Amino acid sequence: MTAASPPAPPAAVPPGVWLKQAGAPWRRLTLLAGLLTIADVVPAIGFAAGLAMTISNFATPGAAAPWLVLAVVSLIARGLVGQVATVVGARLGRAVKTDVRRSLLADLFGRGGRSNDRLTALVEGVGALDGYFSRFAPLRLAAGLSPLLIIAAAAFASPVAAGVLLFTLFPFIAGMALAGTAAAGESRRQFQALDRLSGLFIDRVRALPAILAFDAVGRTTTEIAAASDELEQRTARVMRIAFLSSGVLEFFSALSVALIAVYCGFNLLKLLPFPVPETLDLSRAFFVLALAPEVYQPLRRLAAAYHDRQAAEAAASSLIVAETQSGRPVQLGAAAPAIRFRDVTIAYGPASVVADFNLEIRPGQIVALVGASGAGKSSLLHLLLGLAPLSGGDVEIDGASLSQTGGFAGQVAWASQNPVVIPGTLRENIAIADPAACVTRILAAASRAGLHGNLDRLIDERGGGLSGGERRRLGLSRALLKRAPILLLDEPTANLDPASEQTMLDLIRETAAGRTTLIATHSAAVAALADRVVQL
Amino acid sequence: MHDPNRIAGLIAAQAHAQRQRLQIAAAAGAVVSVAAVCLLGLSGWFITGAALAGMAGMAAVQAFNYMMPSAIIRLLAILRTGARYIERVAGHEAALKALARLRPQLFDALASAPPERALSLSSGETSARLVQDVDAVQTLFVRKSAPWALGAGSASSALLAGLASPLAGGLLLAAMTVSCLGVMVIARRLSDPAGKEAQIAVGALKDRLTALEAVAPELKAYDLNDWAVQQAASAADRHDSAQIALTTSAGWMAVWQAVVTAAALAVVVLVTLGAPLPLTALAALATIMGMESAAGLVGALHQNGAAKEAVARLDQAAPQVLPHDGTRPPPPSLTLIAANTNLRPPHRLGLSGPSGAGKTTFIERLIGLRDAHPGEVVMGGIDIASLSPATRRARFAYAAQDVRLLNGTVRDNLLLAGPGGDDTLWRVLEDAALAERIRAEPLGLDMPVGVNGERLSGGERRRLGLARAYLRTAPWLVLDEPTEGLDAATEAQVLKALERRLVENKQGLILVSHRTAPIQICQTRLRIEAMAQDGRVVVTPERQKAVV
Repeated sequence: MTAASPPAPPAAVPPGVWLKQAGAPWRRLTLLAGLLTIADVVPAIGFAAGLAMTISNFATPGAAAPWLVLAVVSLIARGLVGQVATVVGARLGRAVKTDVRRSLLADLFGRGGRSNDRLTALVEGVGALDGYFSRFAPLRLAAGLSPLLIIAAAAFASPVAAGVLLFTLFPFIAGMALAGTAAAGESRRQFQALDRLSGLFIDRVRALPAILAFDAVGRTTTEIAAASDELEQRTARVMRIAFLSSGVLEFFSALSVALIAVYCGFNLLKLLPFPVPETLDLSRAFFVLALAPEVYQPLRRLAAAYHDRQAAEAAASSLIVAETQSGRPVQLGAAAPAIRFRDVTIAYGPASVVADFNLEIRPGQIVALVGASGAGKSSLLHLLLGLAPLSGGDVEIDGASLSQTGGFAGQVAWASQNPVVIPGTLRENIAIADPAACVTRILAAASRAGLHGNLDRLIDERGGGLSGGERRRLGLSRALLKRAPILLLDEPTANLDPASEQTMLDLIRETAAGRTTLIATHSAAVAALADRVVQL
Repeated sequence: MHDPNRIAGLIAAQAHAQRQRLQIAAAAGAVVSVAAVCLLGLSGWFITGAALAGMAGMAAVQAFNYMMPSAIIRLLAILRTGARYIERVAGHEAALKALARLRPQLFDALASAPPERALSLSSGETSARLVQDVDAVQTLFVRKSAPWALGAGSASSALLAGLASPLAGGLLLAAMTVSCLGVMVIARRLSDPAGKEAQIAVGALKDRLTALEAVAPELKAYDLNDWAVQQAASAADRHDSAQIALTTSAGWMAVWQAVVTAAALAVVVLVTLGAPLPLTALAALATIMGMESAAGLVGALHQNGAAKEAVARLDQAAPQVLPHDGTRPPPPSLTLIAANTNLRPPHRLGLSGPSGAGKTTFIERLIGLRDAHPGEVVMGGIDIASLSPATRRARFAYAAQDVRLLNGTVRDNLLLAGPGGDDTLWRVLEDAALAERIRAEPLGLDMPVGVNGERLSGGERRRLGLARAYLRTAPWLVLDEPTEGLDAATEAQVLKALERRLVENKQGLILVSHRTAPIQICQTRLRIEAMAQDGRVVVTPERQKAVV
């Protein structure tokens, strides 16, 4: 009965709007990244002018030389400007990712929920934001302005060619929008497939002991192969659409450039079948022709980065953190409080686990909750931590009510039925209950809980290096270390032999001194230690 | 036994399997480069030629063939676009298909490693390897077309520049060599370390998150939320920094290429002095496009560090696969050497002893979830240390104390043990005293149990583990604290069903418990007191009883 209450469905914020909100605190950095991307226009124009003038003045090397220098300098400047824009964009991406990740983490650890999806959201999902902010956002800004700036420059050399360029922009943009819409759905499905595969790996590695024991490696591999194939197909579909649309855009830009080339060529040859108000020379024609591909370049770069936007939008829904109705936490006194359960009902689904439960506990009392498995003993303990839903009634602790505080986490010493182990040393594992604790107190808690030997030995995620009994003792040592007026114990002596249990009983009594204690237990010996036994 | 090139071997096998697509990609890549170089060069030549003809007067205009070049320009534009599409699709499809085959192979290799090694993997890190590391390998396939594109691009651009002046062609080739060498240096100095660090950091981040997520309830109890956020955030920062360094290194490659291109342009233009003007224009533009044909190679070099690190890490994760010894498992009789006890199904052995004495460790060694100690147990006349873990596992149906459940339905979890119809599934649930609970669920057998069974109580998880063990046909049923967390009535119900099943199936039982009721159904009762210095368990007979 450890299921946390299902989180409220996040408000339906459109992904685009949410992305805009996420980037809002970094508007100035976004603008800077965009302007730097636009700044690429200046060396592009410089290069075109330099090359055109070098070629057209080639007969007189003295006149051509400065233009050749301009072309060379522009080319180098272009590389440098691009580098600065990339670095600023990358910093923008990092800034937004850090913000979003923090709010996700705060939600994950605040609610105490567990899910593979959240983990994927934190790594792959947040990762998908990077491309959106570091590449797509600056490019979007540039795509709106850069083509117009280049066309304006071209207009100096040939207004007619500039007009043609401007005219071709509209179908180009329409084509881009069309390609983008087609890929959006595929991209979302691809992200879901990635999610599934990642979650499957995490889960199956966690269950590896069972998979090995049941000779199920072959079947599990088949399952993973299916998820892997699905991801491959989805990704291939997204890529094909992306490549096709970028191919169409490339072709279109090539056609437009060819149109300009034909116009310039015929103008130079004076073979145009219609009258135009301008006569081009080699330098003007070369300049316009060199600039023509640059008009479409920002748009094509944007289209290439479109996948970044789709990935970010697909990930957005998993990154939206629902508003938490956080209660007002109340600081309990240091003295053991009275606890009163009034008509408490706990329901995870339609059926309630605990219904109309009433109990009054006096300060400092030890109460044992006993009853059949599934009777709701653990749920009552989780309720006080805010990990089980209060579906009816209320719990009052020293005048503070649970319905208002939302839980008394942080002021509770707790040892679970299945204590968790973090990778690190045994000492670090004990100290998480009270990071401020000095070495002496940690050592005392360890030895009182019966954890002897080297406290600096390393323990892995699976708890390797600790026996089942030692793991229980680890949970208890944490409860011992924590200074809190309430002690909650969930099956503290399960899996201990009678002799070990006996030593543990003394410890529990010692730990409970000066605290109000609730113990969920099956053990008659533990129940005997309590001041009161409540049958559920 | 350690083969450092295992993963490289798998990758090579996949590259071979995808060779057709890769060859198409390489050919298309070469076409793209040639078309791009010729397209721009020809355009420059055409404009310049047209201008000269226009200036020279009507006769020159009439003589200037403008139809042919403009037709070729259009053809080249189509060729470039089409070939680029083919290159990208073929290259990426080859990579994606190869990766899709690699992932299950890697999982299989991880799971088939020696048990203590396989079980010491942390799930976050492994997931990072199978997802991110395998993704990083993608570049090894996609980049296979890069040298062809570069070769074709440099040859065609040098040829075109050579039309203006053979020296220009030679100098262009030299410039391209310098450009590539510089990019290689930047790759080795900046990209490789950054890419490697990024791969390491993402694994560390996933690991940290998985570990912290698992402690979430306890963190909540001890109000350590902010600490956990901080821990995770600092692991993420490390990854972000590595990514920025990687991006920056790509920027430096671009800057270097721009510098070399600029220098090459100046040199090519200078040495073509005296050549016809249209040919100079052609040489200048061919220079620029020729230098650009190295883009694929630059991209590949940029990702090289990440790919190398990914391959190394994958190698480390799956160093060797224990061969199935292929022999039939020996007869299921067991001899516990320390206790001088012989057992064969349907005998029942009860193990008890103080916590931490090594009961679970002993069981895991016996059934092949740990490496066995020689001289501890003999199976069918063979010391189990000389049997492969897989051979040992075939002899046992195991319900662990620490039940591991799949994030799936009740049915998924039961079927892990082997095939079975609904009737069979309900029967084992009945015998594990869990049928009533599952029947009350609207979805019944299709009820999702959540991540590691979080929607079930501890007792329910344990009984689902028991039901799963019942489903597996094996001479020995091995139960580690099967009734822990159950009330006396449920325990009695479970034990009664257990005894009936053992008789029906003529199955042997090895049961670990500190509770009296389960031990009572065993004929032989042993105590595991402690682990000896050499790691072997110290076993003492508790009491022999010949009552069924």
